[in-house]
Amino acid sequence: MKKVLYIELENCIGCRSCLAACTQCGGHEERNRNYVIDVNPFVDRQTMPMMCLHCENPPCARSCPVQAIQVHETGAVLSAMTEKCLGCQNCTIACPYGIPKFDVEQNLMYKCDLCIDRTKDGIPPMCASVCPTDTLQWVTEEELAVKKSQFRLSNGMMASMEDPYLENKTNVHVSLPGILEGKEKLF
Amino acid sequence: MLGDKALKDVPKNVIHPNEELIKTHCSYCGMQCGMNLRVNTKTNKIIGVEPRYEWPVTEGKMCPKGVTAYQQTNHKDRLLKPLIRDDASKKGTKEGFREASWEEALDLIVKNFKSLQGEYGEDTVSVFSGVSMTNEKCYLTGKFARVALKTKYIDYNGRFCMASAAGGSLRSLGVDRGSSLPWTDLHQTDCLFIAGSNTAECHPTSMYRVWEVQNRGGYLIVVDPRETPIARRADLHLDLRPGTDLALANCMVHLLIKNGHIDEEFINQHTNGFEETKELVELFTPEYTSEITGVSPEKLIRAAEIYGKAPNAIVMFARGVEQQSKGVDNVSSYINMALVTGKIGRPKAGVATFTGQGNGQGGREHGQKSDLLPGYRKITNPQHVKEVCEVWGITPEEMPGPGVSAYELFELMDKKEIRGMYLLCSNPAVSAPNLNFVRNAMKNLDFMVCSDFYLSESAEFADVVLPTTTWSEDEGTVTNLEGRIIKINQAQKPIGESKTDWEIQIEIAKRYGKGKYFEHLKTAKDIADEFRLATKGGNADYSGATWEKIEEQNGVFWPCNEENVNGTPHMFLDKKFYHPDGKAKICALPYRPPAEEPDEIYPLRLTTGRVVYHYLSGNQTRRIPFLKDMCPEPYVEIHPELAVKYQIEHDELIRLYTRRGEATYKVKITEAIRKDTVFVPYHFGHKESINLLTNAALDPMSRMPEFKVCAAQIEKL
Ligand code: SF4
Ligand code: SF4
Ligand code: SF4
Repeated sequence: MKKVLYIELENCIGCRSCLAACTQCGGHEERNRNYVIDVNPFVDRQTMPMMCLHCENPPCARSCPVQAIQVHETGAVLSAMTEKCLGCQNCTIACPYGIPKFDVEQNLMYKCDLCIDRTKDGIPPMCASVCPTDTLQWVTEEELAVKKSQFRLSNGMMASMEDPYLENKTNVHVSLPGILEGKEKLF
Repeated sequence: MLGDKALKDVPKNVIHPNEELIKTHCSYCGMQCGMNLRVNTKTNKIIGVEPRYEWPVTEGKMCPKGVTAYQQTNHKDRLLKPLIRDDASKKGTKEGFREASWEEALDLIVKNFKSLQGEYGEDTVSVFSGVSMTNEKCYLTGKFARVALKTKYIDYNGRFCMASAAGGSLRSLGVDRGSSLPWTDLHQTDCLFIAGSNTAECHPTSMYRVWEVQNRGGYLIVVDPRETPIARRADLHLDLRPGTDLALANCMVHLLIKNGHIDEEFINQHTNGFEETKELVELFTPEYTSEITGVSPEKLIRAAEIYGKAPNAIVMFARGVEQQSKGVDNVSSYINMALVTGKIGRPKAGVATFTGQGNGQGGREHGQKSDLLPGYRKITNPQHVKEVCEVWGITPEEMPGPGVSAYELFELMDKKEIRGMYLLCSNPAVSAPNLNFVRNAMKNLDFMVCSDFYLSESAEFADVVLPTTTWSEDEGTVTNLEGRIIKINQAQKPIGESKTDWEIQIEIAKRYGKGKYFEHLKTAKDIADEFRLATKGGNADYSGATWEKIEEQNGVFWPCNEENVNGTPHMFLDKKFYHPDGKAKICALPYRPPAEEPDEIYPLRLTTGRVVYHYLSGNQTRRIPFLKDMCPEPYVEIHPELAVKYQIEHDELIRLYTRRGEATYKVKITEAIRKDTVFVPYHFGHKESINLLTNAALDPMSRMPEFKVCAAQIEKL
């Protein structure tokens, strides 16, 4: 059963376990590849993970002059192939979220590959495996559909990103804050 | 994803070439998250972690401490050989240690302890222990102190952690199992009432169950002076003044009675003390309680209404309410909520404390506490003493009497009544309150031994430091925060010359001429077998919890004995509590303020706590690069309005001081704290320790110091 990464931003507690766990994936050379942001640190403890969304027509790969960034058959947008990458950093600039990181010493880009070692065999990526709050979830398409139908905001917007896509179509799905809005209470 | 559904669809693990996975649990907090340690089969070394998806409590989830826990084992700071310091004038520093052989170190320990005991009596040597280690080690440490060293002065760091929860549960329910129900019930309840727990940072892997309650339409009520990450999303955040829980809980009971949300049948049949309590809480109207706590009457009324109406609800609490000079009363007063409503003794409803240390539950049950023997037996009860003596092979006359609590040990050191200390599995030079006093007491000891795997701040006061093993180099059981006995497995052989604490204690016992009581214990399993026997018939009965059963059933909930062969996930299902008449006690508890209230000179309230990146004194986690990067130093959280008053800015260094001490901290401005309260995390050593400032006012029953509130002042530098 195909599963996808789904992000429920509201749940995040900023523990950064996702980052610590990222280093544990086989192909990751013990470097973490995503970000967790303090949304408004002087006000409250809201945090959010900034993960690669694995775009369907990824600006990072399209911007690469030497096609170093490949798209895996699962849809995962892989890290730059070390033998090809020129270190031009086009990808970092092209990515709407600034995801690709840059190793200055090696002059190489590295980014989230959705733990391709794991996800190619249907095993959840490390971040979603450990996330203590279910901010990062590895869900089936059916589970995702339920989430999307559930989270509708009163202003008519969707709490879950759907058409129209913010930038373009992505393999990772994100809910915007407001998932409990309109939730019917048990009593 | 959550619960039973997920268990049907457990992901596989990734096993890399030349690696094997060893199933175990995290070394740190009471959640005891399941994990697999990745071991390189060529070097036989631990090299990483892989989620343990099939573990029912946490399903692969781990906080950043758990993910990086494996980095402790082969860390460059590991102590590989015993260390001796000949020049006592260097005590209190890292200087002056030389490497020594085990022979020399152990001989020196026995020579010095014996000569002190010869001159000043057996009780002049004390044992200060901890509960971040297996039940087998905790059990043996109690036996070691009483049978080998023959001292009555043994106590442990749980006095700074779980003692009030234990005291409150014992008084209210007659038994001290931290949770009356398994954690797998949490997300299925309709209302979580959580007081004094920064769950998101201290027990992060509970959080997916907490959020699920809300996702199902249930309610989350959080009682905390700070808007912690769990309070941020709560349906109701009761932002009380630190140290006023007892008033708040009394108000809840007042309102539950007033609104008719009580279960009279349950009260009549299964409890005592309702009428006195009803009379006492009469006073605690929302308006009166609001004056004391600073929480608006509307919020108090709404909280009681939600809890009262909830078909099922769980009252949970942690160190925020427990680390007070009335911690035991706070615990009993929150348990009152469950007892007057009858929301206990059935699935999805009950009470639970969040156990702090990995084995905070098991470690307190089996004889490291000054007044307890294995199986939660009392050392003051002749029958209990007799039962344990039979297992240990000593006579009741040989059993030392009750000693004193952890902080009081330091008071006796100061008075020279205690002149020697054997310290293991703890770092009181950071974690004890009123540190100027405590550090001085340690410095003036005639002879001190510290067993640790790193040179902790406390080891700096020792004459001999013994290199012990990490959790990953030994095996045994621990009891997690549910009361579930689980198995820790060895993933790597001890590095260097390090030895397990049980091996060290047996070696010392032999040199003490007490070999015959210890020599038969050759493996951790041998200790486990004797330990289970020693618990038989006690309240915390582990006699049926064999390692095989633990493996088969994913852990065993105590009591596990002939009556409950498979253990007891849910307590009190028969509505029988553990007092002699089978009834629980609803407690009438008059409010009293914290030991130290703000005044003109010290107008602020200081409270302390954890951050998600560090564990306890930080001796372990401050050495892990990822965790250190994320939180390298302490800070003081200050509300912007308070900052304006003191004309201080974010990131500015200020002096924070109380009647006991002072320290310099960087300011962290945040609206997520009360305007009259400042917060500092407690994981840091030397000059950065907030415990230089905290108050050692002890709870009269649990002897728990009042870490969570004292009066303080800020000075701009
Ligand atoms: S692990 Fe989950 S909760 Fe923690 S920071 Fe990452 S996304 Fe947020
Ligand atoms: S989010 Fe950025 S890095 Fe990820 S696929 Fe899209 S463009 Fe590339
Ligand atoms: S510290 Fe606690 S919550 Fe974090 S991984 Fe370890 S046991 Fe789990």
